[in-house]
Amino acid sequence: MKQLKYSAVAIALISTLAACGGSGSDDSTPPPTDDKFEFAATEMITNLTDDVIISGYSTLAMKGEEMFLASQTLVANKTQANLLAAQEAWKAARQPWEQGESHIFGPVDSLSIDPHLDSWPLNTADLTGVLANNTGGFAADTIKGWNDDIQGFHTMEYLLFGDGVADNQKDVADLSISEAEYLMGLSEVFRDYTKTLDDAWKISHDGQAASKAYGELVKAPGTADNTFYASQVGVIQELVNGMIGIVDEVGNGKIADPFGTSAATADTSKVESQYSWNSLTDFSDNIIGVRNVYQGELTGASDKQGIIDFVKAGDESLALRVGSEIDDAIIKIQAINGSNNMPFRQAIADAEGRVRIQTAVDALSKLQASLESDVLPLLNKWKV
Amino acid sequence: MKTKLSLLALCIAGLSCTSAIAATDPAQLEQAIAKQEAELNKLKHDLAELAAHQKMQQQQQEAQAEVVATATKELIESKWNKFSFKSYGSMTYTSDEYYQNVQDTSPERRSRFDLERIVTEFGYQFNDEWDMEVEIEYEHGGTGTALEYDGFDEFGEFETEVEAGGEVMVEKAELRYRPSDEFGVKFGNIHLPIGLSSILHKPDQYLTVLRHRSEAAMLPAVWNEMGVGIFGELANFHYQAQVVSGLNSEYFRTYDWIASGHQKRFEHVNADDLAYALRLDYGNFKKGSAVGVAYYYGNTTGNRHKSNKVSGDGTVSILAVSGAFVQGPWILRGQYLNGTLSDADAITQANKTTPGLKPGNFAQVGSESEAFFVEAGVDLSHFTPVPITVFANIDYSNPLADVDTGIASKRYENTWTSVGINYFPIPEIVIKAEAGRQQVAVSSIPDTNFFALGVGYQFSL
Repeated sequence: MKQLKYSAVAIALISTLAACGGSGSDDSTPPPTDDKFEFAATEMITNLTDDVIISGYSTLAMKGEEMFLASQTLVANKTQANLLAAQEAWKAARQPWEQGESHIFGPVDSLSIDPHLDSWPLNTADLTGVLANNTGGFAADTIKGWNDDIQGFHTMEYLLFGDGVADNQKDVADLSISEAEYLMGLSEVFRDYTKTLDDAWKISHDGQAASKAYGELVKAPGTADNTFYASQVGVIQELVNGMIGIVDEVGNGKIADPFGTSAATADTSKVESQYSWNSLTDFSDNIIGVRNVYQGELTGASDKQGIIDFVKAGDESLALRVGSEIDDAIIKIQAINGSNNMPFRQAIADAEGRVRIQTAVDALSKLQASLESDVLPLLNKWKV
Repeated sequence: MKTKLSLLALCIAGLSCTSAIAATDPAQLEQAIAKQEAELNKLKHDLAELAAHQKMQQQQQEAQAEVVATATKELIESKWNKFSFKSYGSMTYTSDEYYQNVQDTSPERRSRFDLERIVTEFGYQFNDEWDMEVEIEYEHGGTGTALEYDGFDEFGEFETEVEAGGEVMVEKAELRYRPSDEFGVKFGNIHLPIGLSSILHKPDQYLTVLRHRSEAAMLPAVWNEMGVGIFGELANFHYQAQVVSGLNSEYFRTYDWIASGHQKRFEHVNADDLAYALRLDYGNFKKGSAVGVAYYYGNTTGNRHKSNKVSGDGTVSILAVSGAFVQGPWILRGQYLNGTLSDADAITQANKTTPGLKPGNFAQVGSESEAFFVEAGVDLSHFTPVPITVFANIDYSNPLADVDTGIASKRYENTWTSVGINYFPIPEIVIKAEAGRQQVAVSSIPDTNFFALGVGYQFSL
């Protein structure tokens, strides 16, 4: 009797379930979506690696070589024209480096290239000591053993442009023999490091003959011998985090630190590239670097796949919004110089300048929020 | 009253008369003698009883004394008596002037509190010869960080595990065998006798609020390593000789020379290169006046995780000369340290180019390092009822005294001069105050002033 009862209940349940299933399959409405989107990322990753990152580092290595040649010329022939040429070579090398800060992962980090090239601030006290003790030039190998705060971009900048307080012009007569010789030694070290970085992406990530190029590792995630990237998700995450990192650094570090809370607490000593008055170019180049990764091509090049294509696949309106927020941030940074071409180191102490700086900081904050809370979470919705 | 006394006298006289008369009767006399004899016998018996009683009492007392003695002996031999517990600690408040960066020449004053350390020390005396001691230090009131080298990850990774702000660490864990005053052996995690801080690290053993800055800029503070050592005293000479784990040059830095190479930061201590330490003192620094000399020698390249990055040995040698004069109210202590490092350039290059290892801007290591301090104090309690010691101190350090090639920056050459007081409300507690000036040997960097307060304690059960 009891068994019969259970069987009856079971039969009832089964038939109910069957009926449910039946009604579903008869229904013409589509099954509930799993809220995920599809995107084939291989082309995008390959393109970003080759055409944006490696291309940028190749340019940097080339500009590093040119910088070295310009300094050699300057030492051989100390003329105002050669000094100006060396200044231009410095600015030309600065551009690919600052744009490359949007993807400051991999060898640039693991080989400590970043502090070797771009330590800030410069240790002027030690630099004075080094220059005073010049006994017949400066060998690159010797300089490499010294601490980073007396070498790299900003030391060269100081030697080329002067202290930057009143202007960013330097008379060649003010360039001592020691300064010129140290500049030449520094630019040789600089050239070597930019080459090391380029090689690490193209030939071997750690300089060992058996190792793969870092570019190859980024382009082929998930393969058995790739201990850096287990999947394409990891690569895209690295790229997006790279963009977030530099937006954060420009807005909350490079601009905000010297900016302070008021003109009285503004601190010029914290302004990067203050000697050449190149700060605003640095900052906008940083965000142009973000745009390069986002759009998938360097400014002016033909359209290729970038992070924007990944975002589009997930959320079309977001893709457009982030694109315009990046452009807006660049414009607002460039606008800090106002109508009278005011350098950043002066703008932080200027009432109107401070208003323009705040506008740029707000634009950067907005962009950072979008990247962090809208773009990054798309990785969870990506059907891999 | 007088009449009463007279009456009594009469009675007594009467009585003696009667007995005199009675003595004449032999029977009566016999009776009296017998009675007296009986009384005497009773008296004898009573006396004997009393003597027996007294003897018994004495025996009882002796037995009781024996019980007490046994109990006392047992107490002495009890487990708790073999156990010892000591503790010391300090909390400081400092107000220093800081430079935001190397460009900055207008210093900013910052103040901070620090629960510098709480140290607990447990000891156990197994028997007359063997004992052990474990010292656990809680620094800055926190837990800690461990650094691990993972050789299987990518091309070898330095991994840091951060657990919280401070540090908990076993500063000493040693077993000692000491058959005589002249000779003893200790092994385990032992204190190196290099640098006076390793010997005088309790708050009442030095006068400054913070331990001597000169030594901290050159040596590991309260330097401890794994190893074995012998020690002893002969006619007021104290000697120590040790073989201990060496340093790892991957973490040598510009600002503190070899101090960061102390392998306490690693989960495991690499022991491919050992070091040797010797010390000879005349007198006892812990108890008062003494003079001493110490020497440390050891290679460091073998202890690198990436041992193929440096071809030389990276030999560290340190000579320490120290002296103390403590007599009556006068206190004078000083130490001079001189160190050399071979292959300093090779270490600098390797540390700058080892992937994942980030000494960053502080990779340049001195081939020579130098430091000294002198502190002088007067204990005013000898002259007044106030238990205060006033002192003056000078600390100097230059971890980058010389480099293999090029010129050594003077940025790390520091001199601290200060004056202050130590106040002992009770002998176990000291309250300190110190004010002074820090000078960097670079003329473009202005001198800065500092002020510090501290409270320290120490006790032992």
